Amino acid sequence: MAAFKRKRGSGSGAGKQAKKVKFAENATGKQTAKPGQESEKEHNIPAPVSKGKWKNKERVLVFSSRGINFRTRHLMQDLRTMMPHTKADTKMDRKDKLFVVNEVCEIKNCNKCIFFEAKKKQDLYMWISNVPHGPSAKFLVQNVHTLAELKMTGNCLKGSRPLLSFDPTFEKEPHYALLKELFIQTFSTPQYHPKSQPFVDHILTFTIADNRIWFRNYQIIEEDGSLVEIGPRFVLNLIKIFQGSFGGATLYENPRYQSPNMHRRMIRLATAARLKEKQQVKELQKMKKSEPKVKEKEDPTQDVFVTPAEEKPSDIQLVAPEPKPIKKKKNKEFKRQRKLKQKRF
Amino acid sequence: MEDFEEESVSGSESEGNDSVMSDGELQEAFAKGLLKPGLNIPLEARKKAVNNVEGLKQCLADFKKDLAWVERLDLTSRPLPDIVAKADGKLTTLDSGEIQAEDDFQREMYFYRQAQAAVLEALPRLKKFNISTKRPEDYFAEMAKTDHHMQKARGITKLMAKQASMEKSEKAKQLRELRKYGKKVQTDVLQKRQKDKKAMMTAVKKYQKGMTDKLDFMDGDQEKGKKGASGAAGPNAAKKKRGPNAKRQYKDQRFGFGGKKRGSKWNTKESHDDMSGFRSKAAHGKSGKNFGKGGKQGASKRPGKNARKKMKNRS
Repeated sequence: MAAFKRKRGSGSGAGKQAKKVKFAENATGKQTAKPGQESEKEHNIPAPVSKGKWKNKERVLVFSSRGINFRTRHLMQDLRTMMPHTKADTKMDRKDKLFVVNEVCEIKNCNKCIFFEAKKKQDLYMWISNVPHGPSAKFLVQNVHTLAELKMTGNCLKGSRPLLSFDPTFEKEPHYALLKELFIQTFSTPQYHPKSQPFVDHILTFTIADNRIWFRNYQIIEEDGSLVEIGPRFVLNLIKIFQGSFGGATLYENPRYQSPNMHRRMIRLATAARLKEKQQVKELQKMKKSEPKVKEKEDPTQDVFVTPAEEKPSDIQLVAPEPKPIKKKKNKEFKRQRKLKQKRF
Repeated sequence: MEDFEEESVSGSESEGNDSVMSDGELQEAFAKGLLKPGLNIPLEARKKAVNNVEGLKQCLADFKKDLAWVERLDLTSRPLPDIVAKADGKLTTLDSGEIQAEDDFQREMYFYRQAQAAVLEALPRLKKFNISTKRPEDYFAEMAKTDHHMQKARGITKLMAKQASMEKSEKAKQLRELRKYGKKVQTDVLQKRQKDKKAMMTAVKKYQKGMTDKLDFMDGDQEKGKKGASGAAGPNAAKKKRGPNAKRQYKDQRFGFGGKKRGSKWNTKESHDDMSGFRSKAAHGKSGKNFGKGGKQGASKRPGKNARKKMKNRS
């Protein structure tokens, strides 16, 4: 549903968009509140966004290459929902080189870009870049969960400004510091952006664990800090940081990064090695068996310490042993007949 | 066993891989415990990863935008201390580098606590700028997730769907009942019509054959309705008493139930005491064809000679 256009300079009372409702209970507007209470509420409602001047002109272009799957597509849509300062573009052909992206961004008048690239329909790479000259970074995206997942029950206003929370580790390393600046400029919604909402009701967290960057999105329910996850969520594995946009000198390369191809190859090699080892063991055993057995020399001193065994007392039975209990002979005919009968059925 | 392991290692090498170490060196390395048993795949020496610290810092300095905090809303925060773990006495404080990424719950709780710490830090700062995090109840705006999706997430639609299906089944049941009843009523009406038709036809035939001379059946239902309403009780009761025909009764008496027994007693005590054939008015001579003032007959009686003469002279 498209939002109504807000009138510029209208008062706070009229500046609300009557659109989709968060809870069914709030469907009926509480206009019948006492005048005293109403005035209190009016104080709490911030002025509409159009009253402020939008200075921080950040525009992010979010698009992808061909060959993405549904999850990536939904992730892109979710990012565009979360960030009102984004623009979309059609899929880029893989034949074009990467620096074409810069031109696309220029046409759309965007100064940041998030570009998703899918390879082999399995691996998803994400480029975040400051378009004209600035740095860019390439990540491998893993563990993508979108907004549509039912386990994540939080909700937020569409286009509300987020808080960004970073790990202290981001300040320890220079490459992380650069990434932090890049994330701040890309993900934070500019104040007084025409499509933004004046509330701050969700928080994006970036944490570093296991040499990867984990992204989460939480809704702020109460002022005391209770949170519910909204989504989407993903994990970024840094590959390289470039000095230019989608190219240029490599400023940083992640030493612990292993490309997904290599990862799969290692797994395959490990299983192959295990199998080979088993085969070799078998072969060796065969060889050992088939070898002519070496006959040892006779040792004359072998019989020196031989002692004959003690003689057992011979027990002559005088009394006949008890007769064994006679087992009744089973009439096998019956069994045979029974089996035949069974066969007939 | 040692021999065997070395054989396998040397076997792989003899397959054509160029090994860096000779056999003797390999044996020594294995004895020391540097080599693991099994096939050892030679790792390629890693290229040195580029880490241009100076370049990074320079780039950051160029790229950094000096924006007010209000524009960025960024925070760096360590996670809040984990109360639960402290109560259990498990751990004190963890750095982010020490999070076990494999332990899902611990990891997610770490992120959650980090977010909480950030929120608690940010709220007073936001208040200064008069930016609220609480949305007033009458502020309606488009949400990131639709209402329908939220209901699905909470399972409300399931409940509603269940209710709707129950209502539907109830309605279907009622409809079926109604249809049954309607069918029954219809059949009854049809039967009644057929009965009436039959009665009409028999009445007409009787009239045709001359058994009755009344044309009551032509009056239809109106008269019948009125008559039926007023005199329903009397004739009904009488009719019930009559039961089968007189002819039928006589025949039953003679031939019914195995017929009359021949040679049965007929002047017994019971027959003497049986007063069913006694009509008191007949016995006392108070009924008859011309008993009473001879009411109607008097009307049709021919007047005497003198009366006739008088009548003649008068007219």
